[in-house]
Amino acid sequence: MIEVSGLTVRYGGVAAVDGVSFTVERGEHVTLLGPSGCGKTTTLRAIAGLEQPSAGAIRIDGRTVYSAAERANVPAEKRGVSMVFQSYAVWPHMSVFDNVAYGLRVRRLPAAEIAREVDRALDLVQMQAYRSRSASLLSGGQQQRVALARAIAFSPSVVLFDEPLSNLDAKLRAEMRVELRELQRRLDITSVYVTHDQEEALAISDRVVVMNVGGIEQIGTPEQIYHRPKSRFVADFVGSANLIPGRVAGGDGQTIRFEAAGGLTLAATADRAVSGGEGTVAIRTAHIALAANGASGANAAAGTIRQRLFHGDFIQYVVDWPAGQLIVRRPPTDLYDEGAAVTVSFAAEHCVLLDG
Amino acid sequence: MSILLAAPQRRLWPRRLGLPGGQSVATTLLLVFCGGLVGYPIVFLVAESLNAGDAETFPPDAYGIDNYLNLIDDSRVLGNTAFVACVATVLAVALGFLIAWTLTRTRLPGRAGLERLMQLPYYLTPLVGALAWAILASPHSGFLNQLWHLVGGTGDLFNIYSPWGIAWVMALFEGTVAFVMISAAMKSMDPALEESSRVLGAGKWRTMLRITLPLVTPGVLGATVFVFAEMLGSFAAALVLGVPGRFFVITTTIWEATLSFPPDYGRAAAMGIALFAVMFVSLSVYRRIVRRGQYATITGKAFRPRPLEMGPLAWLLFALCCFYVLVAVALPLAALALTSFQRFATVILAQSQYTLANYQTALGFGAVNSALGNSLLLGVVVATCGVAVIAVLVWIIYRSRVRGANLIEYVVMFPQAVPRMVFGLGLLWAWLNIPIPIYGTLWLLGLAYFTVLLPLGVRTLAGVVLQIDRSLEECARVCGASWGHQLRTVTLPLMRPGILAAWLLLFIASVRELGVSIFLVGPKAQVIAPSIVSAWVSSSTELSAALALIQSAAVFIALVVLLRAARRYAGEIG
Repeated sequence: MIEVSGLTVRYGGVAAVDGVSFTVERGEHVTLLGPSGCGKTTTLRAIAGLEQPSAGAIRIDGRTVYSAAERANVPAEKRGVSMVFQSYAVWPHMSVFDNVAYGLRVRRLPAAEIAREVDRALDLVQMQAYRSRSASLLSGGQQQRVALARAIAFSPSVVLFDEPLSNLDAKLRAEMRVELRELQRRLDITSVYVTHDQEEALAISDRVVVMNVGGIEQIGTPEQIYHRPKSRFVADFVGSANLIPGRVAGGDGQTIRFEAAGGLTLAATADRAVSGGEGTVAIRTAHIALAANGASGANAAAGTIRQRLFHGDFIQYVVDWPAGQLIVRRPPTDLYDEGAAVTVSFAAEHCVLLDG
Repeated sequence: MSILLAAPQRRLWPRRLGLPGGQSVATTLLLVFCGGLVGYPIVFLVAESLNAGDAETFPPDAYGIDNYLNLIDDSRVLGNTAFVACVATVLAVALGFLIAWTLTRTRLPGRAGLERLMQLPYYLTPLVGALAWAILASPHSGFLNQLWHLVGGTGDLFNIYSPWGIAWVMALFEGTVAFVMISAAMKSMDPALEESSRVLGAGKWRTMLRITLPLVTPGVLGATVFVFAEMLGSFAAALVLGVPGRFFVITTTIWEATLSFPPDYGRAAAMGIALFAVMFVSLSVYRRIVRRGQYATITGKAFRPRPLEMGPLAWLLFALCCFYVLVAVALPLAALALTSFQRFATVILAQSQYTLANYQTALGFGAVNSALGNSLLLGVVVATCGVAVIAVLVWIIYRSRVRGANLIEYVVMFPQAVPRMVFGLGLLWAWLNIPIPIYGTLWLLGLAYFTVLLPLGVRTLAGVVLQIDRSLEECARVCGASWGHQLRTVTLPLMRPGILAAWLLLFIASVRELGVSIFLVGPKAQVIAPSIVSAWVSSSTELSAALALIQSAAVFIALVVLLRAARRYAGEIG
């Protein structure tokens, strides 16, 4: 279990991480997601003990490893965490076995036990065949597996992942994603994972922490993050969404009436009690239905297809509708011509009022 | 208000809490050790230059700027120095630019081999070069002048004992730096910059004038300033070729001042400090140019530029390269070899008597032999200890976040800005006046070599450390290794090829060292380069030639190993 509270890391005068707090439960897989420069990697490195924070506290399994108030800072090698680096950091001057055995040897385990643990780890990542090969002769994917085996070999309580898949090609990345999730469930390890790839974050996490400019935007399960984005940033960065400005015209707690431009009144969902004021709602591009002939439904309005882009797995339409333009993604079977008149509709629960 | 309260607190405690003890301790020790070695002689030198009383008392009984005022009387020497340095710089940069351009941008037979040969003169050393050219081009007896007489010429074709001769030798044997720096600038230029000019319709010459030249200008300018600073502090050529004709530059004047009776250390120190000041300013200018010129080498990675087809001009340039190799490598070595086998360096070649006696003297028992042994011993010890210390030093400077790391870098790079001669003078004066009795022993020579070679070692190993991906080390720490364990199992093994290269470079630099050694040798601690000078001064040209060849042989052997190692390393990486 990891507790991060009020963590601040400064480089010179700039706060790269500014008062970040979150908790990772035992056995949970939490992902820090955000664009480059948002402080996610710095947060991860602070947990590992590779960055020197300037305020806040970090506790791992109940033990304080960093605390500004208690003036405590346990060095990286004494924290008992493990880490998979973006560059894999597989030592080229050692064999695969020596790489994986490193953490065990540092802990002065007997040779027989080291051999057993290394074999177990190599089996898990299916690299047993490369046991005695020089690490400099491995491909990118193989290095990735060795790095993984090395990180889990000494049975750490926590494993940290710093964009471990970002250097792999798309196909291998998708495969490794599945394997990582599988491995994580089997070993029941607590892990924190950093990525800028929103698909990856949604696919392999129990919970996602979305970060931006050194702070946390939203914490939630992948479904919550996707279906109920809290902020403009989350709606925009995770998945794709239409942001529609307007004002709240009243409502009853959960469902509200939202007045958009062009005299359009939408039924929308709010997480908090609001009664009025300016605001923005977000609608996922995939949550919008198109119909050919004046069909009615929730939030239905007439529109015209302005542009069609064929993407393979989906078709993206730009639709003119009373409140401006909408981006809509439909399955490739849902075919409309450019210039066609359509009816646009989406459920109230998919039209989410954002904070601020 | 809150800022005022928070600031000192933050400054005080991260040190206590963040850093593993080993690093802070090592940093402090190294800072004190290197700071002492570098700073101590300089402090003494400054104090002595301000000594207005008896030059040989320490601490001075009166302070004043008399020594500096007296420099005005030496304006002739200053003029000589400026003249020789300017001529040598212009010559070195012109040669360096043409050859660098030829070797990087044109298709020539044997380009790689030529490029390697170009660097040989530097390893040959200016001292050896000056000796060789004294044999080749002294009036009357020089081989080239003899040849001139043989084909019917009258008078002397060359007189190497002249300001021009000194500048010529300096340009050939110290100007190699210009070639190396300019070709580095040319290699780091993205060929796409030129290619896009060609694609947009500009011709070969227009591209060269409008694109290539402006892009390499900062590199050339930087090399010019750097080489000029080097030339100002140059000693060996002026010593061998200038002193016999009473032509003095600053460095040789310093040398004379310490030899006169009583030694005028005050005058020497003031001159040294003045030279240091000029050199320091030059190097600051150089750094500015290089930093500002970085647009030319944005990526800092080596490209393989597309060579140009030059037509007949290529052969002219090729001839120029061959000429350079001839005058800077082939002729000097041949002249030395011939002379080293002569019983007497005779006026007429046809009457020569050949003998191995010079080598017997050099390699036999006695002072000369022990000089050779001492040089090799010092080379091995300084290189070994130096590499060990500098490896840790470099790691702390470039990798740790220990406070004071920047300061260390400043301290260890400082000797680079001090002319070798001047540093030697400071060391002499400093260690004469300290109650630790190591003056005149190999210990002092060893410490002095370590001090003046710090910048070389740090620069070489810095490149190696910076190439190691930081996460390779961080991973070791996260796996549970302490700093020491991480250095031992990950950092140092990864640095191994670089460490070998640094070892050899330090070895070579030690074996050929002259500027510092010449002040610090004693009857019981002789080394080879000053021995060559004394053999020369005592008119034993044949013996000095033999010694020069032996020193060159030691350096070349190390060089061959270095190149082999570098090639194997490149093979491992590629």
